[in-house]
Amino acid sequence: MSMDDKDPNTELANFLAHSLELESEAQQRYGELAESMASHRNQPVADFFRRMATEAEHHQQEVSELAAGMTLPSLKAWEFEWPEAEAPETSSYEALHYRMSLVEAMQLALANERAAEQYYRGFATATDDVPTIAAATRFADEERGHAAELERLIAALPEQGTHHREEDDEPHMPE
Amino acid sequence: MTEAIKLKAKDYKSEVKPIWCPGCGHFSVLNAITKAMAGLGIDKDNTVLVSGIGCSSRLPAYVDSYGFHGVHGRGLAIAQGLKVARPDLTVLALGGDGDGFSIGGNHFIHACRRNVNITYIAMDNEVYGMTKGQASPTTPMDWDHSKLTPHGPGVRPFKPAALALASGAPWIARGYSGNPNQIAKLIAQAVAHPGFSFLHVMSQCITFCPEQTDWKAIVTEREEPALTSADEAAKLFLHEDGFQTGLLYREQRASWPPERDRAADQNALAGLAASFRV
Amino acid sequence: MSKRHLSIAITGAGGAGVISCGELLLQAWARQGGRGLLRKAYGPQIRGGESAALLKLTDDECYTAASHYDLVVALDWDNFARFEDEIRLGPHSRVLCDGSEEIPASVLAAQPGIVELPFAELASACHPEGRVNMLVLGVLGRLLGLPSVGLVELAARKLAGKPQAYRDAAAACIEQGAARQLDWKLQVPPTVATGACYMSGNQAAGLGALEAGIRFVAAYPITPASDVLEWMAGGLEQVGGQLLQAEDELAAINMTIGAAFGGVPAFTATSGPGLALMTESIGLAVASETPVTILNVMRGGPSTGIPTKSEQSDLNIALHGLHGDAPHLVLAPLDIADCVFTTGWAVQLAQQLQTAAIVLSDQFIGQSTAIVSEPRRCPSSAAATAVPTEGDYLRYKLTSSGVSTLASPGDAGQRFTADGLEHNEKGTPSARQSDHQRQLAKRQDKLSAFGFGDDWAQISGSGAIALVCFGSSSAAVTEAADLLAERGSPARVISLRLLAPLQTDALRAAVEGCSTVVVVEQNHSAQLLHYLKGYLDFPQAVHSYAMAGPVPLAPEAIAQAVTEVINP
Repeated sequence: MSMDDKDPNTELANFLAHSLELESEAQQRYGELAESMASHRNQPVADFFRRMATEAEHHQQEVSELAAGMTLPSLKAWEFEWPEAEAPETSSYEALHYRMSLVEAMQLALANERAAEQYYRGFATATDDVPTIAAATRFADEERGHAAELERLIAALPEQGTHHREEDDEPHMPE
Repeated sequence: MTEAIKLKAKDYKSEVKPIWCPGCGHFSVLNAITKAMAGLGIDKDNTVLVSGIGCSSRLPAYVDSYGFHGVHGRGLAIAQGLKVARPDLTVLALGGDGDGFSIGGNHFIHACRRNVNITYIAMDNEVYGMTKGQASPTTPMDWDHSKLTPHGPGVRPFKPAALALASGAPWIARGYSGNPNQIAKLIAQAVAHPGFSFLHVMSQCITFCPEQTDWKAIVTEREEPALTSADEAAKLFLHEDGFQTGLLYREQRASWPPERDRAADQNALAGLAASFRV
Repeated sequence: MSKRHLSIAITGAGGAGVISCGELLLQAWARQGGRGLLRKAYGPQIRGGESAALLKLTDDECYTAASHYDLVVALDWDNFARFEDEIRLGPHSRVLCDGSEEIPASVLAAQPGIVELPFAELASACHPEGRVNMLVLGVLGRLLGLPSVGLVELAARKLAGKPQAYRDAAAACIEQGAARQLDWKLQVPPTVATGACYMSGNQAAGLGALEAGIRFVAAYPITPASDVLEWMAGGLEQVGGQLLQAEDELAAINMTIGAAFGGVPAFTATSGPGLALMTESIGLAVASETPVTILNVMRGGPSTGIPTKSEQSDLNIALHGLHGDAPHLVLAPLDIADCVFTTGWAVQLAQQLQTAAIVLSDQFIGQSTAIVSEPRRCPSSAAATAVPTEGDYLRYKLTSSGVSTLASPGDAGQRFTADGLEHNEKGTPSARQSDHQRQLAKRQDKLSAFGFGDDWAQISGSGAIALVCFGSSSAAVTEAADLLAERGSPARVISLRLLAPLQTDALRAAVEGCSTVVVVEQNHSAQLLHYLKGYLDFPQAVHSYAMAGPVPLAPEAIAQAVTEVINP
């Protein structure tokens, strides 16, 4: 894969800008979810999301390294083009519940990885630019690997009893 | 000559962690506000977030700017007083449907009418979340999950966009918490709009209205440009399902107060005192 | 009635222009160097109802309402009965009226001297647009020894926006009136000094506020405070400030808070019913330590009460109307001129101590106009500015004075969120006992530790009796003390200007040596009495003279009541 020139309008620059944003959004979101779960005392899920945030940060580093020396387009958050409302690896806030189980959290992350893989594959097939195809394919394969890892983790989880989202206490009124 | 400030969205967050329930739509609005601020390159020191009371009113503490967490229903009054006294600041007023359309209803309609250059983001989850789930002015008639109104409110909910239009708001938009990037874009547009900008965000309450996860199936995004005819907007707002997102209406209307040279006349005070001498 | 005062009532209805007549007369008297007070009384109609200009010409500036009138000029007798409580006559009184109407029985019963002058006929004879009130102005001017040319000039100034014919008619009628020879010898008080000011308490309060730095006012109209806001609207624009008309008092107080948060000294004015609405948010100002000043021009209460009459019955709500423990400032100007000083002082204190200041004026001083020597001003104090701190900015930092540095939006690196929720030093909401105790103490101590100086009260005279009052009752109490002294029972007068925080040590010292304390106030439930007794164990006997409106406090009645107390 060759390093490209400084023109921010190349396919690769655009692709890398999107990947960077994807990983950055994923990292930010997992971080927020981790904090939110921690403050609602769902520690196992909080810890899991924290690990996912760290992973996303590593991927972000990878992309940054790949983009070294390039000038990427500077886009506002709403100027990125995604297949859905948010970047593919970003968990929707509304998918959460303070009593979600670890397996549910992992399944959420798994869905994210699959969405990310699909996104990258899609990018690879939609362009003729050789470096872009290479990068997109590489990232897609990485996501496939992450998904597989998560599948293994889920399978390795001990047998879950019935998990209740309901709790005995009524909601509290803080103000 | 200031350099463009190049902060990222996360740089606009304060270190205070939100207490909202996981699953709450307000996280999206917080996310969107920080993205909008980053997109606009807004100066933190010259930005103020003003709120009333309620879950969504907790937001100012979560943003690294100046903030005022006021009393129930009065955020818009604080925000307008602040902006009129300090037109140099960027002022955002925030609150929920109870805060904004019930106790704050009068201030809402007058803020629309007055057209001071602020942005008002109403996070509508059709319930009083903070006080444990009572019906609000936008709760559906037959929602019977509140002990206060066990048979449902039995009263038709307000249509906030229609209220805003009738009261004179020149910029009306809607967002949905499932799409924070769209909300971010709308906030950026709202802040740039030189007048009162009303952004109505359907923001689900996971705890008291879990059925609101169904909203994602009915939310639509407006394809056409915003309406500029009040007549057409009235028709839209009175008859729509309340889930069309995007910039829905905008008109040209000079904001208040008009630009005026506020340089003080040095001798004015002495002149005022002198005016009493016989 | 003392020979040094001359009280004149001018009454009429249906647009007779009685108030204008009184205003012009007093202004002319001011130019001569005289002193005096003009009160106004009205029927409920917005226009065309019965009205009365109640003048009291004096040789000092201790302005009390006249209880008996030396001269009543009735342009007509329509519904004069409405003013019977206020306009009392006796055999010493003179009445000047048209003669075409029957004089009310109550007036005749007082057996005043009566002179009839065909006002209407004379006015229309001297000019087709001739008005009776200008004729009367001329007559009264002559009686007071005022040059008619001065009256004509003042009238022309008042009618500057009107057609020339009006000014011509006014001049003609004034001259005609001045030419009338009435064989009365009125005891006109001596003049004092020229170069005085002519103002109402409401205007004076507005001036004091602007001079102290107010540059933002939120306004919602209410009787009798609307004049403050209207006067300030014009003044603010000139000094580079801004007035915002609010949709209600709830908005007004919150707009004031918003502007103050923005670092712009902010102010609003209202009366009892509006203050009641504002109390929740005044508490917000206290809890968030946002400086605001609220002028409350008291009127007859409770509820809608008597909007056009004066009373001092909002003391309780001003002191105790905020929920929770919410210490704040309460001040009360003592007279019209003192509105300049006290309002200015309140603004300064609010800014300095970062709290809410409620200023208790009332309809009597608010809407009466008077001739006053140049009002005393509050010396300006430098406002503390926020100093950039190392590390995190602690908006509510505990300090020895209780006052923290206050940043405003725009100040670099001092971002904070103000909150009505209890909070820690940083401003983060907190439900911890330690934070609540500390912040409660901070908000209390910053007031109680502050040295307010000698202006907390005006103290005069000495004697075995201490008369304690607040705000506008000062003048009536002072005059009562003069009467008591004449009768061999001298009294010390303590007029409280600063009501909260109460200066208990100073008050204790002020009443020391007196054997009797009488607390005088213009309300029904003796609000000041109970407040003072709650904070001080008076060694001496404490009595109460509590008389609600609508009639102004009468020095004679106070003196008699005190006499009865000391000689039961």
